[in-house]
Amino acid sequence: MVEKQEAVASQWGNVQNAYQRRADLIPNLVATVKGYAEHEQETLTKVTEARAKATQITIDPENLTEENIREYQQAQAELSEALSRLLLIQENYPELKANQNFLALQDELAGTENRIAVERNRFNQLVKEYNAYIRKFPQIIYAGLFGFKPKAYFQAAEEAQTAIKVQF
Amino acid sequence: MKILSKIKHRFWLFILFFGVAAVYAQDIPKPMYPPRLVNDFARLFSSEETRALEQKLRAYHDSTSTQIYVVTVNDLEGYAVSDYAFKIGEEWGVGQKGKDNGAVILIKPKVGNSRGQVFIATGYGLEARLNDAYVGRIVRDRVIPYFKENDYFGGVNAAVDAIIERLSGEFDADEEQDNEGIPIGLIVVSVIGLIVILRLIFGNNRHINNGGSNRGGGRFIFFPPFGGGSNRTGGFGGTFGGGGGGRFGGGGAGGSW
Repeated sequence: MVEKQEAVASQWGNVQNAYQRRADLIPNLVATVKGYAEHEQETLTKVTEARAKATQITIDPENLTEENIREYQQAQAELSEALSRLLLIQENYPELKANQNFLALQDELAGTENRIAVERNRFNQLVKEYNAYIRKFPQIIYAGLFGFKPKAYFQAAEEAQTAIKVQF
Repeated sequence: MKILSKIKHRFWLFILFFGVAAVYAQDIPKPMYPPRLVNDFARLFSSEETRALEQKLRAYHDSTSTQIYVVTVNDLEGYAVSDYAFKIGEEWGVGQKGKDNGAVILIKPKVGNSRGQVFIATGYGLEARLNDAYVGRIVRDRVIPYFKENDYFGGVNAAVDAIIERLSGEFDADEEQDNEGIPIGLIVVSVIGLIVILRLIFGNNRHINNGGSNRGGGRFIFFPPFGGGSNRTGGFGGTFGGGGGGRFGGGGAGGSW
């Protein structure tokens, strides 16, 4: 039981790392876009704000409740949305669109989204195993006693599901 | 009560979601048999092209244990090209277990009005050298120009060259490649046992012919061919055992034309 709980906890770490990786790319992205699209200040500010908000929320693996995860997901989803708006503006700036650095950052970003999806799926899988395990006999008798509570899943909410569409 | 029903609702959504995923998972084709690195389901290459590619990839696999799979399909079954490539990588076990040094070059050709799509998925072990940005550049600069001219072989060949170039010196040949089959140790023991038995039976003849010092010499006669034979991965054109259990975590990049 401890192992299964540990597996969930470490996988949660992987999920947060994947999101952190995305957050780490953003300052670079914002700087690159700024160089070409000065008039998009509002979009850029929104991304920076959403990033700041999203990076503030981290969840300790001990507290993987439905509420906490929902809050976390909400913040990340807002960042996703701000990011996709930012990527849309490239259509108006051909020079930005052709910029090698910008293209590379987009590849990195798309790769990060893929990694987030992978880690989230694995997380849900492990939570499923853990939850099923502690509800089985005879574990169900003592699981609650020792504080092994069911953990929450990542929800496939619509807003979180819309991964950034990267234009090639 | 309301919360409870909400949870229940969520739970069913979840089941539904995973159930659908499970059904979908069957859509990924099985690797071709006998196992090979070029799985040209969409028949984009001529037989000479397939042979040339397979030879190049096989030679690279034999010398570095790195598995680069080339897969072509006409239909992505509703998946994003990236997801399809990851699924192939994971389900076929592309790359060696533990090293995760596998890559999948997936091509969906341009058919009629649908866009052509390509994705190069990199296993965990390749991500450090072949980061997403680098792979993206390979796809944009070296692969898609060929694909735009309908030269699928040229594009794939360029991708393979670019990957090999970037990875040079990263991995060595894998010695313990075949985990199935009889362990080498057992073979060694049984061959030695056989030699001992043969000696016991025919030993006297040898004694008469060659003198007592032959006992050590006999071993040298027996061993070299055995050593060569055990090295199944070394020879070119030998058998290829298929995916080695490598894992993928979402690395790679792609493009369309």
